[in-house]
Amino acid sequence: MKSSIPPKKNSILPSDRENWISKNPFEEFKTFTASTHDLPLDQIVQSTEAIMDRIRLGYEKLLEEEAKELVWMVQYNTIIKAYEVAEKYVKEIDYSAEDIEDFCFALENTQKVPYLIPGPAGVYISALCNYAKEEEIALKLSELKTEINLIGFRLPKGKRLVIEGDTGDFTGIGLEGGELVIEGNAKNWTGAGMRGGKILIKKNIGLHTGEWMMGGEIYVGGRVRGLGNIVEGKVYERDKLVYPGKVRYPNLYY
Amino acid sequence: MKEENYQSIIEEIWPKLRKKHLYPEIPVPKVRSTPDPEQGESQEDEGVGLEMKHKQMVINGAFVSQMKGKMGEKRIVEALLDHGITHYTFCPWDFHTHLRLYSEAKKVMGDKELAKKVSNCFIDVIADTHCVKKRFTEIPELHRNLRKGAVEEVIASLYQKIWGIDLGIPSSKIKGHADIIRRLARIPYLDRSRWGESIQKFARSLKPLLVEEQKEQGAKGGKGERNPQGEHDLNHYSNEEIDQGLRDHARQTMALSDFKDVVEDFSEELKGVGYGMEGGMGRGQGNPIDADVLFYMKLAENYSIPLKKLPLEEKGSLHPHSHSPWEIGSPFQDVDIWTSFGKIMPGITQIWTRREGKGRGKMEGTPDCLIAIDSSGSMINPRKSLSYAVLGAACATNAYLQNDSKVAVYNFSDAPMGGKDILSYTDRREDIYRALCKYFGGGTALDFEDLMPLIQGRKNLDLFIITDMKITNLEQLVGFFGQIQNRVTAVHIGDNPYAARFEKAVEKRKNISIYTVKRKEDIPHIVLGRIRDYFNPNPIKKP
Repeated sequence: MKSSIPPKKNSILPSDRENWISKNPFEEFKTFTASTHDLPLDQIVQSTEAIMDRIRLGYEKLLEEEAKELVWMVQYNTIIKAYEVAEKYVKEIDYSAEDIEDFCFALENTQKVPYLIPGPAGVYISALCNYAKEEEIALKLSELKTEINLIGFRLPKGKRLVIEGDTGDFTGIGLEGGELVIEGNAKNWTGAGMRGGKILIKKNIGLHTGEWMMGGEIYVGGRVRGLGNIVEGKVYERDKLVYPGKVRYPNLYY
Repeated sequence: MKEENYQSIIEEIWPKLRKKHLYPEIPVPKVRSTPDPEQGESQEDEGVGLEMKHKQMVINGAFVSQMKGKMGEKRIVEALLDHGITHYTFCPWDFHTHLRLYSEAKKVMGDKELAKKVSNCFIDVIADTHCVKKRFTEIPELHRNLRKGAVEEVIASLYQKIWGIDLGIPSSKIKGHADIIRRLARIPYLDRSRWGESIQKFARSLKPLLVEEQKEQGAKGGKGERNPQGEHDLNHYSNEEIDQGLRDHARQTMALSDFKDVVEDFSEELKGVGYGMEGGMGRGQGNPIDADVLFYMKLAENYSIPLKKLPLEEKGSLHPHSHSPWEIGSPFQDVDIWTSFGKIMPGITQIWTRREGKGRGKMEGTPDCLIAIDSSGSMINPRKSLSYAVLGAACATNAYLQNDSKVAVYNFSDAPMGGKDILSYTDRREDIYRALCKYFGGGTALDFEDLMPLIQGRKNLDLFIITDMKITNLEQLVGFFGQIQNRVTAVHIGDNPYAARFEKAVEKRKNISIYTVKRKEDIPHIVLGRIRDYFNPNPIKKP
């Protein structure tokens, strides 16, 4: 006789469901929460990035306005105009000396700054230094592959700018009473048109040094390759006064 | 506390640590016994809490004992293990990252020891910061209690600033290095994609301090304090990881000089893990490491070029050859029932005598290869910059050696005048690479009298020639290739009229395949031993 009780179905789940769940090897990940703390570092990095973006944007706008064809000729008018544009953008940014240094290295990174044109870059960095909050700015640029021109342009009185590494042409031109220290070499036309202040070059300096300088002092720790037509001011080579003096003549190679 | 007790602490906290770090594949840490001064054991490593060797972390019992007055033993062990695990799970992660960070640091520091120190510091800062951000850890407490030198104080001040945790560094000490700390705090340590530029900035900021420290140590005539969280050296990595790291580094830098710098800086450590050369770059004791050879060796391992196999005449299996009388005790299965008339009887029954048969089998094999490489003045000096000729030849070498074949090298410049190097058939990779890397830099001519002994007597032999084809006796070479039946793979570097002339001259020869290499990407397109109409049953006619 057949039984009226239907056959028992075999369930794939074990009878003790709770026990089965506890055996799940991934069970503990259900309760796992990866605790991530907000560190001050996150905020510092974030704000640094934001400032750097604004500095980069200012530089790109300067290039758009002053070097449309990516060509920039160093002339009195072009320098003055580029500086005015740079001033306009720089004044709007709240930055520190470290941001300027970071920007100098960002210039060499094509992913960050697509075009490095040494002239406008130098004018822009000068504007950044001149409008920085700090009175003394030290830029460690000795690992920089590019020698930036026009650094220290119009450095005002009360500011001290120290550059670790070499600089390019037109270093410290139009200096307005500040103190510019180059812990390396500087190229040609250094201190041209400077009105006052002090330029200290630890190593050697190129041609046309102090061309049309109207005042101030240039101290060179190494050799002065050639002096420019100096109107007024003093040039020292290894603590020895070479201008004014009869020893050296303008634009002669020594 | 004794060694066993520390081991029990580890066993207690290890499951929790594994869970915290998402189950890394790391063996259970061990405890190193406390040195016994009476037995002359050194106590100089008392300041190092953690050692890592081949993924095995070892806690220094002496260090924990020394620190236990300042913080609980369990907390010390947990902090040290958190730090150690993060090296495996985040930074440096692998040997290639370690090398990359070191080479970036070296660009700034210029000095090997300083670069090692700065890269180790950077790796530690990243590991600890990652751990503090992502996990609940005792690392800050450990840093609060560690003994600190000038550099360690600056790093601890940095931690205070970027973690927002007081580590007990007095503000007077911070003021002295405020500018360094400010610079260091701006670095995005946890952004892996920017570690290259970050370590340069880190090194630039710490450089004056490290140089000063090095001078002081030099004056004292000793080594500096060891890193309490463990030194970062090649002991961390297994041999396979080092191989892979060197391979990746060669591929990513693609610059011989960079690779050479790094390998030379790590030569002592590489030798320590068995990279001493025995005339080359394999593992084993011997001569100093030849970074150039190692560069091509590791770079070539990134490329795989196909090698067509050839139906070879090979020894076959045993087959019945002749009859011999059956004797009691001889195997029955060899009995030839037809000639034995179905009888098993001494004197009547015959058995088959088997012999090893010869015949053209269906099995394919790889013949040996003769590599002719041009090292004349028109070719790049492989020891000065990346030579595609050497890289191509190295890839071909690997392909043949991997198929258990042997390779001979004929490195020629002005061969009739002595500008040549001949290496007979060998499977010693180091020797082959050494011969390939030799550079003569003179004129370009082949001496076929040199080639004949290498070819004669070898029925199956592949030829691989890599040159710019600016060969003085190119006509002779064309004539030589016209006479031989061997598979020839000719690779010319760049396009020029000589290469075009060679191509034109041998275009009808189906056993000669010609490839041009202009970029490194062209190398994998080479097919070794390719014969046009390979499946064409018609044999290649003799000219």
